[in-house]
Amino acid sequence: MTAETSPAIEPPAGRGRDIAAKPRWRRFLTGEDGIQKVVFYIPLVFMTLFFALPVALTLVWSVFERTRFWMEPGFTLFAYETFFTSARAENFLHAMMHSAGAVVISFVLGFPIAVFVRRRVPEIAQHRVILLFILPFMISELIRIFALRPVLSRHGLLNSFLMDIGVISEPISAILFTPLGVVIGEVLSFLPFMVFSGFLAMEAVQKYVFEVCDDLGAGTVSTFKDIIVPLAAPGIFAGSVFIFVNGLGVGLIPNILGGPGATNAGSIVFESIVALDFPLAMAVSAIMIVTLMALLYIGHRLFDLTRILEPIS
Amino acid sequence: MSQNADNAVEVIDLSKNYGPVAALKEVSFSIESGKYFVLLGPSGGGKTTLLRLIGGFIKPSAGTVLLHGRDVTDLAPNERPTSMVFQSYALFPHMSVAKNVGYGLKLRRMRKAELDERVEEMLAMVGLEGYGARMPHELSGGQQQRVQLARSLVLQSDVLLLDEPLAALDAKLRKDMCLELKRIQEKVGITFIHVTHNQEEAMTVADRIAIVAGGELVEQGAPRDVYERPVRRFTADFIGENNLFDGRVTKTGGNAATVDLDFATVQALNGNGLAAGQAVALSIRSELLGLLTPADAENGGLQTIPAEYLEEVYLGLTTSHLVRLPNGQEIMVRTLSNGEAAATFEPGQTVTVGWKTEAARLHPD
Repeated sequence: MTAETSPAIEPPAGRGRDIAAKPRWRRFLTGEDGIQKVVFYIPLVFMTLFFALPVALTLVWSVFERTRFWMEPGFTLFAYETFFTSARAENFLHAMMHSAGAVVISFVLGFPIAVFVRRRVPEIAQHRVILLFILPFMISELIRIFALRPVLSRHGLLNSFLMDIGVISEPISAILFTPLGVVIGEVLSFLPFMVFSGFLAMEAVQKYVFEVCDDLGAGTVSTFKDIIVPLAAPGIFAGSVFIFVNGLGVGLIPNILGGPGATNAGSIVFESIVALDFPLAMAVSAIMIVTLMALLYIGHRLFDLTRILEPIS
Repeated sequence: MSQNADNAVEVIDLSKNYGPVAALKEVSFSIESGKYFVLLGPSGGGKTTLLRLIGGFIKPSAGTVLLHGRDVTDLAPNERPTSMVFQSYALFPHMSVAKNVGYGLKLRRMRKAELDERVEEMLAMVGLEGYGARMPHELSGGQQQRVQLARSLVLQSDVLLLDEPLAALDAKLRKDMCLELKRIQEKVGITFIHVTHNQEEAMTVADRIAIVAGGELVEQGAPRDVYERPVRRFTADFIGENNLFDGRVTKTGGNAATVDLDFATVQALNGNGLAAGQAVALSIRSELLGLLTPADAENGGLQTIPAEYLEEVYLGLTTSHLVRLPNGQEIMVRTLSNGEAAATFEPGQTVTVGWKTEAARLHPD
């Protein structure tokens, strides 16, 4: 085979021929000419359709006029006024506090698990151990939360156990159908998120870091405070936001465990929709979205959330 | 201080087993205070295990570690007068250079003013003056290792442990850092124990080299001794570019011994303690071998063996000549590639390989 007869060596015009030879869909997917760069805009299209547009609609609809069964275009802050002048605003704040409590407890219980798995479990087994925390999600959330009722109730498992071992003589009735019950429910439902994101963040922390700490004489407390928490901060924050958002938004938990009158943002929205007050539902959603976006922004400025994906890349 | 205080490190019958695997087998040695000591050996030979046992990062299965005469076998790393420089760029990625260096002092609750002064002093020592505010990711690999060095030195430990500190650096930088390490060690005057598998690195920095392989300390000595007068066969094989021949002693007289290599009989001079009939290995470094013209061979005074010329490999400073002995073994003869090329040889040509009697070393093991 000589150069003159080789089809591989062609004048530059060959490029045009080459492109024409390939089917259009293949050129599109492999991104070979200008138009095909569209493929890189798919994430943008996705985010527009499923994030920006719904958020915009929520904001717009929240200022629409309420009609009997739906709403009509207009501008009124009536829904916001309704929200802030009723008990709903206070309930919303309480729900935020309970959610924050669930975040703190999840951190105290869940993050040490992540650290332990990263430091003490053999490397090959680490991911399997972490995967175990997915198992609870195999059961319907409704069932999982409902199953807490016979555990936490006045004559439930928890009370009878505490009485059997003699810690208390009278059953405690202040667990179920109280804010405490809601917080317990949230912790048990969302703890795995703290373990996952904590572990992901800990994966970015090299093992040598702990040896250096041993060598320099940093005790457990110093190592945790000065090294582990700062390095895992993006993961801790991401897990915290996840738990906070769900604690605020999943109306199921206060409905089942919180007793009469217990609410959170999710259940307020749900009740508004049941009452056919769509602008109010939108307004509550909008307030929740703004709160969370503000939190995310602050967190990103503080911890640079892109760092959490570093061990993957 | 005990009577052993002159020895910074004394290791007695130290063993480490991982299940049925013995990573270290009853190793004993001592290191004089203020020396630059290198543990050299192939990967998996136990040298890092030995270093980590001295540093307290792992517990020995048996044996004792004494630092300045004090038994530290059961102490944690931070309770020993040792500091460690790790192989990877083991800096805290979220702390500035100054914070990294000062962290150990901060844990010791040193006053801020004094701490800053000490950190600045140490950064100057490792050639990183004014780098205090930089973050680790803004530094090159060599600079990161300097910061690690400063972080360890600032604690003023008696013994500095370096676990393959230059392994991640490229060849040029490694050379520079070797000289730098040596200079810093001489300046601070404390004992350095440096683990490496790189022979040139070891030769550059070491006052003494210990060869560690197969969980044992094979041999130790000054770099020149280990290179020029290896005692053990393993050392001869591992250090430099030695040719090894297996043979049998036929006759001894004083230091001299006659060795039968099957295809030739040669003389060697370090035959002390050998007896006729004993199996020995004979080693000669490739640069001490020569390809002889018939006239040279006639001159006498040289030990010679016949060989078949195979090929020439030009390496810049030196040229290696591969030749095959009558028993099929291939050996390397190395000459300086000076401009005026000596005799050239054709593949297949019969040549004579010769060396001065004192160039050969006998290894009875």
